[in-house]
Amino acid sequence: MRTVNSTQQYRLAEIRKVFARDQVALDRIVLTVCRGERVALIGPSGAGKTTLFRLLNCTLRPTSGKLWIDDEDVESLNGKDLRRTRSRIGSVYQQHNLVPRLRVIHNVLAGQLGRWATLQSLLSLFKPADVEIARQALQQVGMPEKLLERTDELSGGQQQRVAIARVLVQNPDVILADEPVSSVDPSLASTIVRLLIEISQNRHKTLIVSLHSVDLALAYFPRVIGIKEGRVSFDLETSKITEGMLEDLYSGNFRDHSMTEAISERVQSVAYPSVG
Amino acid sequence: MAQRLQKKDNPDIFLEAPPAPKRGVRFFIAIALLFIILLWAFQGAKIRPGELLEGIPQIGHTLGRMLPPDFSKLTDAKNYFFPEQVSWTELLLPVPLAQAQARSKQRWWNNIFPQTVIGATLETVQMALAGTFMALLVAFPLGFLAARNTTPHPFVYRIVRTLLNLLRTIPDLALGLLFVAAVGLGAFAGTLALAIHTATVLGKLLSESVENIDEGVVEAIRATGAGYTQILSFAVLPQILPDLISFTLYRLETNIRAASVLGLIGAGGIGYLMNTSFRTFQYQEAAAIVLVLIALVMLVDYLSSRLRTLVV
Repeated sequence: MRTVNSTQQYRLAEIRKVFARDQVALDRIVLTVCRGERVALIGPSGAGKTTLFRLLNCTLRPTSGKLWIDDEDVESLNGKDLRRTRSRIGSVYQQHNLVPRLRVIHNVLAGQLGRWATLQSLLSLFKPADVEIARQALQQVGMPEKLLERTDELSGGQQQRVAIARVLVQNPDVILADEPVSSVDPSLASTIVRLLIEISQNRHKTLIVSLHSVDLALAYFPRVIGIKEGRVSFDLETSKITEGMLEDLYSGNFRDHSMTEAISERVQSVAYPSVG
Repeated sequence: MAQRLQKKDNPDIFLEAPPAPKRGVRFFIAIALLFIILLWAFQGAKIRPGELLEGIPQIGHTLGRMLPPDFSKLTDAKNYFFPEQVSWTELLLPVPLAQAQARSKQRWWNNIFPQTVIGATLETVQMALAGTFMALLVAFPLGFLAARNTTPHPFVYRIVRTLLNLLRTIPDLALGLLFVAAVGLGAFAGTLALAIHTATVLGKLLSESVENIDEGVVEAIRATGAGYTQILSFAVLPQILPDLISFTLYRLETNIRAASVLGLIGAGGIGYLMNTSFRTFQYQEAAAIVLVLIALVMLVDYLSSRLRTLVV
C-alpha cells in the first residue's frame, strides 16, 4: 500500500476505455500518482499506453470510471475549465507533433496558447511575442541558435527537443511523454530522457513517461508501471521489479509483434503494388 | 479473453490472395448495357464522320479568313447600342422578369458599352481577380465548417456540405444569367457569378485539405490548453496553407478562362467582343482577339506557377 498523500496529482478509479467495435483499450485501471513523482510506463505495443496518455492529458475521455487531476473530477470539466486543466499538463509525443512549416519559435511559443488571448496568439504568428521566453527555453534544451529556423529542417532529435522546449514554455504541473525517444537516434535517447528527468527535478514537476526501452525505464525512474492488454500488470518501485515480471509483461507478444509486421507489409504491398 | 483476441488477430493473413472472380452472366450483361448506352449517346450526339470529313475544308476556309489577324483595331473603342425595347435579359432568359429588366435598364450606362479589346481583356483579368478574392473570403471559413475534424457541430458540417454541393452543381453561365437579370449587364454580374461558383469549389477543396491534415499536431496544440481559433491558426492553417495558395491560384487561372466565356451572355469581359466580331464576320479581328486571349491565359499560367514555387 502506497502512503496516502494529500498532494495527489492523478487519481484513477476503475478507468475503462472502449473504442468503436468493442475494442477494449483500457480496463479497470486504478492508479495514483503523487505530485513530483517520476513514473515510467512500460508494456508491449498495443497495450494501451497511448490511450492512457491521452486520458491523462485530457484529450480523451474515459468510457467509464473516474479520473481526478489535483482532486478535480475531469468528467465535470468543460470549455474554459477543461482548457485551463490541459494547460497545466505538458505533453511530449513520439512523433513530436510540431507544426512542420512554422519556425521553431512559433512551435515553442505554442506552449503559451493556454495563457494567451485569441487575438494575441494570432498576432504572434506575424510578430512573435515573448521572444525571450522562447530563447530561454531553447537554451535549456541546448539549441538556442535554432530559434528562427523552419521546424521541418531540423533532425528528429532536434525536433523532440523543440517539443520539450514547448513544454518548458507551457510550464505545466505535469509533464507527460508518450514514447518520446522511439523515433530518435538510440544514442540520443538517454540524453532526452535525462533532460526530462532534469526538468522535473529542477522545477518539481510530476513526470510520466511511457517507454519502449525497459532499460531506460529501470535506469532513470524510481517507479515503473507495467501495462499489458489494457490493464496494470505491475506498479512497483524499480528495485522490486524482477526479471520474471518483465518476461511476463512481454510474453506472448513476440508472435503478435511479427504478425503486426506481416499485416503492415501486406497492407503496403496492397497500397503500392507497382513499386519494386 | 486472450483466446478471443487470438481468434480475432489470427485470420487469413497468410492465406493466398483470393482467386479472381468468375465472370458470370452479370458481367456480360453489364458490358452489353454499357455498349447500348454508348450507342444511344452517339446517336443523340449526331456523330457523323462523313460530314466531318466534308467539313474539314470549311474549317480551313474559315481559318484562312482569319489570316492575317488584324491587330490594328485592338485599341479602337467600340460602341454597342442596344435597342430600347428589347433587353438582353429578355432575350436570354426564358421568363421575362419585368422588375429585373427595369432595374437592369436603369443600370445600363446610356445603353452603351464603349470598350476596346485591350480594355475588355483587362476587365476580364479584373473580374477574375475580384471574383476569386471574394470567393476566397467566403470559402475560407466555409472550408473549416465543412471539414469533419474542425466543424463546430456535425449539424453545421452537414448543412454547409450540402449547401456547397448543391450550389456547385449550378454552372457559372447559369449564375451569370441570374445576376445579369439582377444587377444588369456588365462585369459586376459576371464577377458575382464567378465569385459564387468559385466559393463553392474552393470551399469543398479546402474542407478536404483540412480533413487530410496531421491530427497529431492538432492534438498537441489542443493539449496545451488552446481554444478553437488558436487550434485553427496554430495547428490547422499552417498545414493547409500550401494547398490554400495553390488552389486559389488554380481557380484564378480557371476564372480567367471562365470570365472570357461569360461575355457571351453579356456578363462582362472579352468574350462579348469576341463573339460580336465572329457574328459580324470580322474574322481577322476575331483572330486577333483570340490570340490576345491565348497570350493572357499563358501569361497567367506562367505567373501563377512562378508564384506557387515561390510561396509553397
